Amino acid sequence: MRSKTNGYRLFNICNIAFIALLSLLSLYPYLNTVAVAFNDGRDSMLGGITFYPRVPTLENFSTLLRDDSIVRALFVSIAKVVSGTLIGLIVQFSAGYALTKKRLIGRNALLLYLIVPMFFSGGLIPMYLTYSELGLLNNFLVYVLPGAFAFFNVIIIRTYLYTIPDSLEESAKIDGANELTILWRVILPLSRPILATIALWTAVMHWNDWTTTLNFVTKTSLHTLQFKLMLMIKESDMIASLVQEAAQRGEADPGRVIRVTPEGIRAAQVVVTTIPIILVYPFLQKHFIKGVLIGSVKE
Amino acid sequence: MKELAKPLVRASPPKPPGPESKWRQIRKDKLLYLLLTPAVALVFIFSYLPMPGILVAFKDYDVFKGFWGSDWVGLRHIREVFELPMMTEAIGQTLLLSTLTLLVCFPAPILLALLLNELRMQLFKRFAQTLLYLPHFLSWISVIGIAYAFYSLYGPLNDIRLWLLGPDTERTMFLADKSFFIPNVLLLSLWKETGWSTIIFLAAIASVDPQLYEAAYMDGAGKFKQALHVTLPTILPTVMIMLIFQLGHLFQSNFELIYGLQNPYVDTEVISTIIFKQGIQQGAYALSTALGFIQGLIALLLTVGANAVSKKLTSSGIW
Repeated sequence: MRSKTNGYRLFNICNIAFIALLSLLSLYPYLNTVAVAFNDGRDSMLGGITFYPRVPTLENFSTLLRDDSIVRALFVSIAKVVSGTLIGLIVQFSAGYALTKKRLIGRNALLLYLIVPMFFSGGLIPMYLTYSELGLLNNFLVYVLPGAFAFFNVIIIRTYLYTIPDSLEESAKIDGANELTILWRVILPLSRPILATIALWTAVMHWNDWTTTLNFVTKTSLHTLQFKLMLMIKESDMIASLVQEAAQRGEADPGRVIRVTPEGIRAAQVVVTTIPIILVYPFLQKHFIKGVLIGSVKE
Repeated sequence: MKELAKPLVRASPPKPPGPESKWRQIRKDKLLYLLLTPAVALVFIFSYLPMPGILVAFKDYDVFKGFWGSDWVGLRHIREVFELPMMTEAIGQTLLLSTLTLLVCFPAPILLALLLNELRMQLFKRFAQTLLYLPHFLSWISVIGIAYAFYSLYGPLNDIRLWLLGPDTERTMFLADKSFFIPNVLLLSLWKETGWSTIIFLAAIASVDPQLYEAAYMDGAGKFKQALHVTLPTILPTVMIMLIFQLGHLFQSNFELIYGLQNPYVDTEVISTIIFKQGIQQGAYALSTALGFIQGLIALLLTVGANAVSKKLTSSGIW
């Protein structure tokens, strides 16, 4: 109901202004970081950088990407996202499909078995000790296997599969298709929307994860981009050595003043680490909202 | 969860099949079991296998003797958790931070959802939502990286301070000042998650029956009263469920944010950072496991307790 009193009009104007301000505040800090990343480091130290680079340069990025370990971390991150998402999808989709079948003997016991870990877990240290015995420490598989099963995703997939009418499966059966063919040729193509949602979801989770590296990986060759960013934020020596390298290159090339600063490199690393997310964000938003809503209906 | 519990109590099929036909059915469905095998195996290896490890909390764990060879020490480590100053301080900080987070960050998205719901210009609303949801998709460590740029000595926040207070004002290192630690935790949590958390409340608000608003309007309720007496009571079950989930996580403060914000000047520890530092970095496995055990136990009790209270008061719960 719309009541058009003056008070309501005033509220509306304030509300719009307030939400516009909040929206701006959601974006502005990121824009500022991007501006610093593309701005000359020395110039940034004068202050006053807003949302555009005042003295544009790619120096921060070139310093960053000249470091082999960063490039390597980028490939580790990509490998983690691709393999983690692929294996996660296979495990979760097949489990979700099997769990839609009411005739499955032991279905409830299986569901119980799968749900209990949502409420009880050994905790970080028992997990660490187990991984250590399984040889997963400093092993790429620690990025892929432990997260491959996610109960929540399985339930969402199952909920979605329930909406596919049984008659489709039955008619395929009458046409002589066996169980595997039905799954591959009928169910899987129809599940594409939910698989896209889960895939994006899992991919973002894998890309953004850095605590797995912190907890279970010490080998530098397995560091991810997010973990490198953490090191740059928390350990000043790493960033200092990058600045120093840039300084040494400058000496070899007279007439060029070294203009990179730790702040500039750090901002560049933030941009490199977040850019894939920002690029897929328009697709993400729609799929994520859908996933959250499907999930919440079942809760 | 409700949906899961239902089949358990449902009556068995009309004709209870004999063991032979059961086996035949299982054999017939072997593809389905095959499809479930990876999930079952992964859950066993990564969830059930570590569970007995919790007993390390009651042992004098020795890496060389292994899990079974180490001696039992009873409740010694559990006692230590409540006696060592480092531990009790971390527990206190966790409680403080969690309570503040709950008080500040839980109501914020409900309020924002109510405000968003009042927007009539759909295009502006969608645009605002797109921007408000964005920070959710960045990792915590990227958010801290952004904060480093924003809070930096020559960053926008200090620029604004100078602009407001005059050019002679000293620039402040916000992230290297312990007194800014708690506000920073709250602010960054608000910045990253408030927008995104509105989704579930917006969906709940959208499901409110419009007739209720009409009736309230007839009775003379203005927009504010409608929100207070119609919208809020209707979305209360959703609010309660979200609250129960939040309470379950109350004791496991945000490790990524707090660890990320720690630096030589800001050394506040919470339970999760102590578990990481003592357990994984220092190798004090038994003590850290004991701390983790207590943390998990309290989380479980809080969830169960909150669920019971909520069921009594609003008859909505997660099971």
